[in-house]
Amino acid sequence: MSLAAEAPLVVRSRPGVLALLAGVLLVGLTLSVMVGTVPVGPGQMLRALAGTGAAEDPAVAIVREIRLPRAVLAGLVGACLALAGLGFQAISRNPLADPSVLGVSSGASFGVVVAMLIGLAGSSGHPALVTLFAFGGAVLAAVVVYAVARLDGRLPVTTLLLSGVIIGLFFNSCVMLVTALLASNELQAVVFWLMGNLAPVGAGPLTILGLTLTAGALTLVRQAVRMNVLALGEEQALQLGVEAERVKRVVFVAASLLTGASVAAAGSIGFVGLIIPHAARLLLGPDNRTLVPATGLLGAAFLVLADLVARRVAAPMEIPVGVITAFCGAPLFVYLLRTRRGGEPL
Amino acid sequence: MFLGGPPLTPVARGALLAGALALVLATAPGARAASLEDMQGRAVAVPDGPLRLVSLAPSLTEIVFALGRGDWLVGVSDYCDYPPAARALPRMGGILTPNLERILQARPGLVLVTAEGNSLDGVAPLARLGLPLFMVKPEGIAGVQASITALGQVLHAEAAAAALSGQIQGKLTRVRELVRGRGRPRVLFLLWSNPLITVAPGTYIHDLIETAGGVNVVRDRTAPYPRIGWEQVIAWAPDVIVLPEHRQGEPQALPERMLRAWRTVPAVRTGRVVSVPSDPLYRPGPRIVEGVGELARAVHPEVFPPAAPREAARTAPR
Repeated sequence: MSLAAEAPLVVRSRPGVLALLAGVLLVGLTLSVMVGTVPVGPGQMLRALAGTGAAEDPAVAIVREIRLPRAVLAGLVGACLALAGLGFQAISRNPLADPSVLGVSSGASFGVVVAMLIGLAGSSGHPALVTLFAFGGAVLAAVVVYAVARLDGRLPVTTLLLSGVIIGLFFNSCVMLVTALLASNELQAVVFWLMGNLAPVGAGPLTILGLTLTAGALTLVRQAVRMNVLALGEEQALQLGVEAERVKRVVFVAASLLTGASVAAAGSIGFVGLIIPHAARLLLGPDNRTLVPATGLLGAAFLVLADLVARRVAAPMEIPVGVITAFCGAPLFVYLLRTRRGGEPL
Repeated sequence: MFLGGPPLTPVARGALLAGALALVLATAPGARAASLEDMQGRAVAVPDGPLRLVSLAPSLTEIVFALGRGDWLVGVSDYCDYPPAARALPRMGGILTPNLERILQARPGLVLVTAEGNSLDGVAPLARLGLPLFMVKPEGIAGVQASITALGQVLHAEAAAAALSGQIQGKLTRVRELVRGRGRPRVLFLLWSNPLITVAPGTYIHDLIETAGGVNVVRDRTAPYPRIGWEQVIAWAPDVIVLPEHRQGEPQALPERMLRAWRTVPAVRTGRVVSVPSDPLYRPGPRIVEGVGELARAVHPEVFPPAAPREAARTAPR
């Protein structure tokens, strides 16, 4: 289908592009740590990062406890979401697939509101447990979608997308059911959380997120060649000795775990999983071997910068980062839709 | 927190609601009724003698009881829990989602609603069903007293209303006098901690902070309840951080991480992160005095030792 047919917009050496993306991410992280309400000079910043700043210097707390954890969180969440999107798009061979289209985010959200309902979330709860619930919800949704979409031992793309949409709507209703049961103050917690929130989290959740990202990215790297073959069509994949169903299953689980981890850490932030893989393909072409690292880097850089904008654009107010990702993502998506293939249906 | 108080309640609702009410209030029943203006300036026909009352907001229920008309109530909202006698009354649904069937079944002579809390969508059907509505619009502390006066007329309890309003005035004056001439600590009021949500000038809670002798650190008026980042708190450097309880009797606590990040903030450094009961603050009713008292105690502990405002609260009019 169309994913394989896209020619790279910019044909350059792949290591070069990857290095460029890593550079963009580094610049994004640096800006994110340097820019904020309180002016912090480069010297202060470096001293704070090196751990040689005085503890009573506000700049130390700002850099080490607020800006850096937040930038790292944004980077990890962005990478997770983008990679999840890449995986879902590869196995469904559909450029519209992403964690939300396939119902996996809704499953993860359901897991989190259940954790809130039984009192595990919030100040008294334990963040690792919330992550576990989000994982559980994501995997539950993924398994149900998978089971519903399966026909005669195969996973046809149309039924996968349809069941994803339906199961997603179902889990959204479950979220509504749980919120109806919540007390009004917890209801507000759900509302805020559904908006997406990159407030610094502790070392525990960051570690969980980092480990999930590593595992998910490695899985996708290992499956990259098979994902390439899959893009040619399932029959062709079979002829080339690639067991399409197995690839789909592995990538599906990896992408679901990536989604669950990011939803647990930062709520639901839209559009990253949808647009970043497209942008990476635009830069590098359809080869998943380079797309996996490129998508991860680009997703991380995008969310770090989007969060910087969200923090600063209406200062002293902050706006939800999902607003920024949608404002960037929707136009880009429309552009891609209208220009890339001259009317060829997606 | 949908307690008829200001947090996160679109203020514009009141104006919209008024429009809907205008269509129906003319048809309110009661042949011997006196016509009174509600706080939206609409004429409401109020029959003589005891009324079957339904109150759809905790603040209104508290006012009705304080005026000695608790026995007129035949239904209250699900959130009406004060005074304790209110808990025994039939529940009429949520503040935003009143249960129309139960309200009709209660055959109210008058339904009390508030522009701060009840929603257009929730209340407009009541009007369409021909139920007479009386709308209260508490704006600021003066608005609370005006609500009490207006309800005093409706409930034929003018004297009680005047006394109650006077008592409130007296206690507020006393608080203002006690804090006058003292330093004005800079106060950060955190409605919510994750994400951080605070209050801006122009809101009811902002007025309460300033009445209690503090200065709200938020000066920007872009949004009434702005969402802010952790770093902004360091920039504002508040002397006191006030945390309203999210549920009665359960003090809010800030996460350890947050306090560590804010270790240079004066309020954190000096241990002045104070949890206060939220119902008296959020409900524009008779307990407003108690709410101001708790805030004053948080802002000026040297003037208001722990017992004093609580004493004031206990003797608050009922």
